[in-house]
Amino acid sequence: MSVPESIFAPVAASTRSPVRLAMQRLWLTGQVMPVGGHLVVQHVFRSGEERPLEVIYSFPLPRDAALRAFRITGDGFEVHSELKQTEEAVKAYEQGIADGSLSALARQYGDGLVNLTVGNVRPAETVTVYLEILAGVESRDDGYRFRFPFTLAPAYHSKMRIAAPDAEGEIELPADEFGDLILPRFRQDASALHEVGFEVSLLNQSPASEIGSPSHSIKVQQNAAGPARVSLAQEKDVPNRDLILDLRYTESKVQVLAGPIGDGKRSFAALIPSTLFGRNTGSPRRIVMLLDRSGSMQGGPITQARKAIGACLATLTEEDWFGLVVFDNKVEAMHPALVPATREQRECARAFLKKVDACGGTELAAGVQQAARVLGGEGDILVITDGQVFGTEKILAEARGTGIRISCLGIGSASQDRFLSLLARETGGVSRFVTAKERVDVSAVDLFAAMGRPVASGLRANGSVQPELPRSVFAGTPVLLYGETESNSGDSVELTWDGGRLALDVPSGDRETGEVVRLLRGSRLITDWEIRYPSEEAVAPLEKRRQGRVAARLFELSKTYGLASREMSLVAVVKREADRPGELPKTLVVPVGMAEDTAFQAYFGAPACKPGMPVLPAAPLGASSLRMDNFLMAASPLQSRAPLTSLKTATYGVPYIKAGNTEKADNADLVDLAAMLEPDGGMPGDNAGVRAGRTIAAMLAFVAAGHTLTTGAFRLHLTRLVGFLKSVSATSEREACMIARAVDAASSGKVPPGRWLALAHEAGTGWKQIDSALK
Amino acid sequence: MTLAEIAESSGLPARTIRFYIAQGLLNGPVKGGRSAAYTAEHVTHLERIKQFQAAGHTLSEIARLLSGPSGEDFGVAPPTAWWQHAIADDVIVWVRADGNPWRTKQLRTAVDEFARRVQPARDPKEKESEAR
Repeated sequence: MSVPESIFAPVAASTRSPVRLAMQRLWLTGQVMPVGGHLVVQHVFRSGEERPLEVIYSFPLPRDAALRAFRITGDGFEVHSELKQTEEAVKAYEQGIADGSLSALARQYGDGLVNLTVGNVRPAETVTVYLEILAGVESRDDGYRFRFPFTLAPAYHSKMRIAAPDAEGEIELPADEFGDLILPRFRQDASALHEVGFEVSLLNQSPASEIGSPSHSIKVQQNAAGPARVSLAQEKDVPNRDLILDLRYTESKVQVLAGPIGDGKRSFAALIPSTLFGRNTGSPRRIVMLLDRSGSMQGGPITQARKAIGACLATLTEEDWFGLVVFDNKVEAMHPALVPATREQRECARAFLKKVDACGGTELAAGVQQAARVLGGEGDILVITDGQVFGTEKILAEARGTGIRISCLGIGSASQDRFLSLLARETGGVSRFVTAKERVDVSAVDLFAAMGRPVASGLRANGSVQPELPRSVFAGTPVLLYGETESNSGDSVELTWDGGRLALDVPSGDRETGEVVRLLRGSRLITDWEIRYPSEEAVAPLEKRRQGRVAARLFELSKTYGLASREMSLVAVVKREADRPGELPKTLVVPVGMAEDTAFQAYFGAPACKPGMPVLPAAPLGASSLRMDNFLMAASPLQSRAPLTSLKTATYGVPYIKAGNTEKADNADLVDLAAMLEPDGGMPGDNAGVRAGRTIAAMLAFVAAGHTLTTGAFRLHLTRLVGFLKSVSATSEREACMIARAVDAASSGKVPPGRWLALAHEAGTGWKQIDSALK
Repeated sequence: MTLAEIAESSGLPARTIRFYIAQGLLNGPVKGGRSAAYTAEHVTHLERIKQFQAAGHTLSEIARLLSGPSGEDFGVAPPTAWWQHAIADDVIVWVRADGNPWRTKQLRTAVDEFARRVQPARDPKEKESEAR
């Protein structure tokens, strides 16, 4: 793709003076399939310096992603990268820099963070790097969500150093864990940063019924036969959030992508919807809900999460057991052990949640440990978090160690998608990631409905299938199967599970599909091994040996699939005439925008102040044991020459309202309605008639909003409402008829018109009101 | 010393050293081009940067500290606002007010703990009368 230089003329919003950017453009292209994407990211670097420039761009990998190669182009040259052992790649890069040659290095670090470094860009020169990436998608029975990071979210690490010089956020991570990784500075206002955009093709076997994006305005072009092409609707955008694309199929069915890969072999990937495995059982559940109340959850996310937990608890019966744990720097449990889901305990949970406010860090590992203690044995944990933490490998190792299934609901506009999908997968759970602009509470209810009761267990497949199959299948999430077959060994793979079997036909496919599927499998395997890497600080001999084993396996996988990992990096050196050895380039780090739904103050405190400027303190101390009567602000006692700059009091935390938080009243009402269910599954009421009437109205309200017994986020609530209604003794034929109509509506999805939501909320709704509304 | 040699002796990658130079934490080489050279002073300077980092300072803070009049007044931020906590008649604790929320919370916990520890010992007779 050619890039006209004339369009690059960014100016500072405040001064309108030209801004010199080391990186001007980041543009995503490529193809996305139901099992993953084959992407090319264009980075345009241009030097405005008077001496050679070295630019460092940092980005997080999407879920199940790996770098394959890059191509570096400029005036009169085009060079392709080589995959080398990381130490050798760094040496080659440094030698190139010392020789005065244009050099580029793409190196991966912990947490899937990548530094793309391009050095010796000459004054006024434009250099473009096309980086090829394989990435996974979030698969659902009815479609998929593709997510690509256009920015890097700040996150929490207990050992990080953090500051906000020049109104920009700065985070440095411990070198013993992250080596020489350089993170970007975080800008509150991303408008003067490099432009971003995309144009991708969506390839599906099942026709798409809907393509949308909760993150960007998109333009969709689709021919009858070809793939859908999705691009940014406007000319360009700013780097302050992930790109998210959603695709829904017209029909949920098995999809198998395959193609030859040489040596008489075929590579395949199969997606099997959970609906083909059957339905889950109604066995009692043991669930702990773990809520992140760190500062980055301020505003909409924490409010919606609180409501979501209330609605989730309403789906539990008195035979179910639950626990509630919240965490930031500290962990608090509602009760040290599980409690039965009685009306009293649900009230306790509601009171406990009322006191939860967002502040502090994200000690997720401690939260998981406490949740495991509360669970005290088998069961499930549901984590609701933005997942904005660094050092995720340690958390994943600890979570695996608990042996407990963890499902994750991630919230945020900038991605920790990779980490949360891994946390769920490594422990046998499922994950969803939504933006704060979407209904967090509805997604939580949807995820909760699938938890604790798998639709199938004991999955096995014949042939060469790798990575391992998941232990269990949950409603709503399909099984993804990667494998290879001998071309002459038949066209079928058999999948079996406890109580069922399925034969999958593997089509011949084409070479291109076969190769992409092989690479996606490789990137998934590399991701699975990357997280087993013990951190550098682990010095025990046992850990060192384990590190050696993981490094050897990663090296082997990188070689086999031709993909980068922490053990192998991509490097290119462009030798040109007039290279000037020994000249020291000026190093610049490309800044990124704060994620649009994350308050700058949540990480970096008040903006740095200049002498004489007023200060807005982030937090007055309120520790109960402190004597606050003598509470004032003054100059530093350590630096007597410092002037008194302000005298203020303030409440903790800056209220943060999400921009563009689109709240759909109907969904909010349904969440409130869902939270009203009594432990026996019915709606509350003063007498049996009112309870039955309001229960029918509630059922019809859910059905009218598109939910049934098998589909929609509130399917479990409907199941419980139906269960209650079936237990009601009708005293007349008319009452029995009303019950039958409501139960039928819950199955068929067809509902008569009416004010069902209002009737469900009204305390006086009984048989008579329902009868009248149904006529 | 070349860049590769100073990287070797300091244990810091060459890219990091270039980054420090660009950030103003470290002077550039004493000569330019092929004969660019780094001295023992550079090595000493890099050691100081490491020490500052170990003490919890960010690079921008270190740059400011190193460019200060003496280069020694680390641990002190530029003129800004502070909270004063008189936690006992003989103890006052000062905490910088515009830190990031996590740090503020961490300090709050520490001050709280400190406040408990430094509560003046109570007269045993007073305790006895209270018990009665």
